[in-house]
Amino acid sequence: MSDRASAEENLRVIRQLMERVTVYRAVAAPSALVAGILSLLAAGIVYYNNEMHPYLGRTVRPREFAVLWLIVLVIAGLANAYFLRREAEREGRPFVSSGMKLALGAIAPNLLIPAAFTVWFFQTGYLGAQELQLVTVWVAFYGLGLLASSLFAPRSLALLGWAFLLTALATPVLGDLIDRLTDDVPDTIMGLTFGLYHLIYAVAIWSRPDSTRAAQAATE
Amino acid sequence: MLEFDKLDKAIHEKGRLAIMTLLATRVSWSFHDLKSELGMSDGNLITHLRTLHKAGFVATTKEVRDRPQTTYSLTKKGRGAFTEYLAVLERIIRAGKR
Repeated sequence: MSDRASAEENLRVIRQLMERVTVYRAVAAPSALVAGILSLLAAGIVYYNNEMHPYLGRTVRPREFAVLWLIVLVIAGLANAYFLRREAEREGRPFVSSGMKLALGAIAPNLLIPAAFTVWFFQTGYLGAQELQLVTVWVAFYGLGLLASSLFAPRSLALLGWAFLLTALATPVLGDLIDRLTDDVPDTIMGLTFGLYHLIYAVAIWSRPDSTRAAQAATE
Repeated sequence: MLEFDKLDKAIHEKGRLAIMTLLATRVSWSFHDLKSELGMSDGNLITHLRTLHKAGFVATTKEVRDRPQTTYSLTKKGRGAFTEYLAVLERIIRAGKR
């Protein structure tokens, strides 16, 4: 190997190693696909039931609405953990890597307010049928969580965070307009954000080359 | 060939170069995190860290919180040496393009 080729190879190893430890994708493409499909299904079922009443014979009650979305959250979370573990195993990295610790440390504080708000909703919030407020808090803080990881996340994840945050900000401002477009604003917003946005994100990043895999090979 | 001789021998080894690169990305790294990120054995990692420590490039901090933990960071000299190492590599590539 010539001096130049050897120098280039060393620089490539350095660059890829730096990318590997400074870039962490907290939401894998297959997880986003699962979350998107589940969310669209959940939103579709609620919308269909509220319009036609085929399942419950009445509209979905506030606490039932929240429970359904918490179930979607748990399944999507488990799917994300499974796909991240599978990816880590395939690349010979630990599942709980330093990147994951950084991501969790950045994202977790943003989930405290939605968690507290959800508890309040189950205790008294549901009495005022405040699903829209609950949904706005969920969407806003999920977006903030993703943005908090943007220092070491790929750009696509930060864009996803902005999409969530801007939608949450637009919800009270454009409330009347959204209300004219749909009979069920909270359900539509959940379907749009957790459903459609995740699907777009999954499709956008699905076939991108994974620099971490190349980096692993470079240091072996 | 002359430029290659200017590369710091303490850094110019695949394992130690990887360690220096990781240390350059954050303020400090625990032994455990370095080991899992690089996939090295304990012995191999300790040997390389010792070499870098002897060269004055790496500082070691021992802490006892829940359990004893050793963290490593780049010294000012180490950061300078790493920057110079990168500069030499760039010069080699530029010279090769001429």
